Amino acid sequence: METWEVFRRHGHREPFEHCGTVTASGPDMALLTAKECFLRRREGEHLWVVRRSDIHSFQDESMLEVGNDKDYRFNSGYRDVVQKRERAKERAKELASK
Amino acid sequence: MSDSLVSLVTALGDDELVLGHRHSEWTGFAPHIEEDVAFSSIAQDEIGHAAALYSLVAKVTGDSADRIALGRDKSDYRNAILCERDNGDWAFTLARHWLYDHADELRLEALEGSAHEELAALATKIRREERYHLLHADTWLKRIAQGPVEGRKRLADGVMKAFGPSLALFEPFELEDEAVKEGWLPLPSGELRDRFVRFASEQLDALGLPTDIARHAEEGAEFVASSSGDLIAGDGAEMAQGGDEDGTGGRRGRRTADFDALWEDMTAMYRTNPGATW
Repeated sequence: METWEVFRRHGHREPFEHCGTVTASGPDMALLTAKECFLRRREGEHLWVVRRSDIHSFQDESMLEVGNDKDYRFNSGYRDVVQKRERAKERAKELASK
Repeated sequence: MSDSLVSLVTALGDDELVLGHRHSEWTGFAPHIEEDVAFSSIAQDEIGHAAALYSLVAKVTGDSADRIALGRDKSDYRNAILCERDNGDWAFTLARHWLYDHADELRLEALEGSAHEELAALATKIRREERYHLLHADTWLKRIAQGPVEGRKRLADGVMKAFGPSLALFEPFELEDEAVKEGWLPLPSGELRDRFVRFASEQLDALGLPTDIARHAEEGAEFVASSSGDLIAGDGAEMAQGGDEDGTGGRRGRRTADFDALWEDMTAMYRTNPGATW
């Protein structure tokens, strides 16, 4: 018996989302039980099962940390742009009135 | 005219109700939690099919579906005996589930051509749910047939025990001739049984699982599908455990001790509170 990760999607254009796991001896048995465990109340319209051992990730989660000096990758890094633009407008008005 | 319709549909409903009840006894006890949910769903489906069939009968006779399901005496049920047998182990349950649902599939396929429009439409509706039952039964049967050894052996024992009695699912019901003449049942049970024997023995042979047909073949008897019913019936006494075990008589109201316990349990609430609704 192996662990299978179950994914389902709600609509044709929606992404598949993880919804749980089942224990089963193969993909056919996994699908068979996943249908009744995760799709019995019309929670979605399609189902995937993926053998957990086929899912790969980083051994060291700290690899996924983002450094502190990456302000430019975040919206918050551009908070002062609005103020800068307002100041530039003021300045333009001043110059025009001269 | 309507008597033969009532006889036909009541027998179908009784199969579904009684086997559905047996399946439901696995709830909480199935081999693992995921299967517990899956098999319980199947049990609910079968009881749902019984409710729909009884509602059709109730409309014709002015009765209520609950009364038909739970308010009858033991001797009034017309299910095949296979359906009432104790669950035994999981392997027997699977063997019976596989045999029953494939037999039911052939029966429902025929009923889609029934002259009774409502029954034909109901057969179509039921078949939609049966697709999952068939997938479930096929997947399990193939999986366990592949081993390990103990599972395979238990499954083979289960098939041996259930195969003969499964043919009695096609034992003619009361007033069948009339029902066939009226077109309620487009094909007589004997014809359906021949189709079933052909299908089941091919499938089971392919998995290396035993059937009585296979045993006859080993003994050198030539198996002719169209006459298989006679072959089986003729050798019934020798089959499996013999005697009672050919599983016939259910359609005429013969009940076994297994049924007594099931009926006591299944109808307890209704008998305590007649006419209760839930």
